[in-house]
Amino acid sequence: MATADPFDSALDLLRRLNPKHTAEHLNNIITIAPDLTEDLLSSVDQPLTVRRCKQTGRDYLLCDYNRDGDSYRSPWSNQFDPPLDEAGGLGGVGAGGSNEGAGEGAVPGERVRKMEIKANEAFDVYRELYYEGGVSSVYLWNLDDGFAGVVLLKKASPQNDGSSSGVWDSIHVFEASERGRTSNYRLTSTVILSLATKGAALGEVDLSGNMTRQVEQDLPVENDESHIANIGRLVEDMELKMRNLLQEVYFGKAKDVVGDLRSIGSLSEGQRDRETQRELIGSMRR
Amino acid sequence: MSSHRTIVSSFVEGAPPGELADVLADIKTLTISNPSLVNELGPAFQKYNEEQFATVKLPGSSQQVIISSHSSLGGGRYYDVESSCSFAFDHTTQKASAVESHVLDGAQADLAKSVLKGLSTYVKEHFTNAAYGAYPIESDSKIAIIIVANKYSPNNYWNGRWRSLYIFDPASNSLEGSIKVDVHYYEDGNVRLLTSKPLTASVSSGTGAGIAKEISTSEKKYQEELNRSFTSLSEGAFKALRRQLPVTRQKIEWDKVASYRLGQDIGGGAARR
Repeated sequence: MATADPFDSALDLLRRLNPKHTAEHLNNIITIAPDLTEDLLSSVDQPLTVRRCKQTGRDYLLCDYNRDGDSYRSPWSNQFDPPLDEAGGLGGVGAGGSNEGAGEGAVPGERVRKMEIKANEAFDVYRELYYEGGVSSVYLWNLDDGFAGVVLLKKASPQNDGSSSGVWDSIHVFEASERGRTSNYRLTSTVILSLATKGAALGEVDLSGNMTRQVEQDLPVENDESHIANIGRLVEDMELKMRNLLQEVYFGKAKDVVGDLRSIGSLSEGQRDRETQRELIGSMRR
Repeated sequence: MSSHRTIVSSFVEGAPPGELADVLADIKTLTISNPSLVNELGPAFQKYNEEQFATVKLPGSSQQVIISSHSSLGGGRYYDVESSCSFAFDHTTQKASAVESHVLDGAQADLAKSVLKGLSTYVKEHFTNAAYGAYPIESDSKIAIIIVANKYSPNNYWNGRWRSLYIFDPASNSLEGSIKVDVHYYEDGNVRLLTSKPLTASVSSGTGAGIAKEISTSEKKYQEELNRSFTSLSEGAFKALRRQLPVTRQKIEWDKVASYRLGQDIGGGAARR
C-alpha cells in the first residue's frame, strides 16, 4: 500500500469526526501537523463569523478571502477593520512591506470592485427573498484571465419555544475565466447546517454537518452585469439542489438508518406480513 | 508531547460507529514523524471500546459479546453471562483470546439470567444486529443491562449505532438509564446524528420479564418520539432557515435584480438598516 498523503488523511479525519466541532478538530490537527496549516485553513470550510461594519452599520461575514492579517474588509464600505495601518503596526518589525503586498491582494481592482458592489446588492436581495433575514457578503478578486469570488450567506433560527435551533452557512467559491463572449464558471459550494432540539420525552437531538458540491458551466457574457446574473443563477440553482439534498440526508437518511438499527414493528410479524403478501400476489397470478 | 497524546486520544474517542480503523489510519499518517505516539493510545482505545460497548465474537463462537466497564474483570479481561465465559480483549485490535469458563454466582445471578431471557425475545423482534448483556454490579447490589446494535454500510457512506444502558436496583425496583443513537453519513460531506435520552422507570414486579417489558416499551416510545422530531425539525427549524423558493414561488429574475432592490426600499423591506 502506498504511503498516504498527510493532507488527504487530515481531510479524511475531518470527514469522520463530529462536524459540529470542525474548528476544534482543525486546530488539533494543525497542532500535531503544523506543516499542513496553510493548506488546511484555505480548504476546510468553517461556520462564518458576523461583524458589523463601522462605516455603514451593516453586518458582513468574515472569511479567508476578505482577510488581511488580523483585519477584515467590509463589502459595504470597502474598509478594513481594524484599519490596515494599525494592523501593520501590530505585525511588528519588517511587516510594513509584506503587509502592503497582502493588502493589494485582498482588495480587488476598480472594475472588479464595481462588480463586487453590484453583486453585494444583488445577493442582499437574494438573501431577503430566500432567507428572510440573516447576513450576506460577496467578495471578489482579480485573476489573470478573469476574476474569482465567494458568495457567503448565514442565517440562525431560534424557535419561539426555545427548544429547537438551527444555523445555516453557505460558502460558494467560484472562478470566472473570460473567453470572449462566453465565460467559464467553476463553482464549489459548501453548506454547513447545524440543527438541535430537545424535550422531556425526546431528550437531546443534534443533527449537524456539511455537504459540498461542484458545478462547471460556460455561459454567454455581454457585460459585467451579465456576470452577476450568471453567478446569481448558478448559486440559486446550486442552493436549491443542496437544500433538497440536505433535507433528504438530514431527515430521510438519518431516520432510515435509525429504522435499520431498530425496527419499531416486530421483525417476525414484518416477515410474516411479507410472506402473506407474497402468497397473495402468487395466488392472484395463478 | 503529552498534549499531542491528548489530541490524538480525542480523535480515537470521537471515531464514528465502525470507523475506528479509518481514524487510526489517519492518525498514523499524521503522526508519522512521531510513531511512538500511536503506542500510547491504549487508554484511549479502552475508553472508546468500553463507552461504545464494542462487540466481539469469541474464538469458535458466532455470538457477539459486549465490552464495557460493567463486564470488566480488570487486567484486560471481560466476561459474558450468557456463555459463562471470560476472555482477554485487545483494545487496539478489538480481538478476544484466552477464553476461560466463568460461571456467575452470587445474589443477583438468577435475576441477571432472567433479564437476559426476557431481553432475548425483545432484541430478536426489534434489532437485526444487536448484542445484549446483564451484569451484577456494585458488590452484587444492582444489575447493569446493555443493548448495542450496529449497522455499518461503508460502501454507501453511512454507519450507525444504537446503544442503551440501564441500571436496575432491586432494593427500590427502579430502572434508570439512557438511550444513545449515533448515525454518520459521509458521502461528499460529513453529517452526524447524535442523540441522548435519559430514562427512569419503576418495575414493580422486579422480575427479569418485567424489566425487559419496561425496556421494550420505553425504547418503542423513544423511537417514535425521535421519528417525530425529524419531522418537526424539517418543518420547523430547517424551514425557518431557508425557503425552498421565494414567497412569489418563482426563481429570481437576475436581469432585473436591481429593480427588486428599489421595490424593497419603497416597501421598507430592507431589514436591519
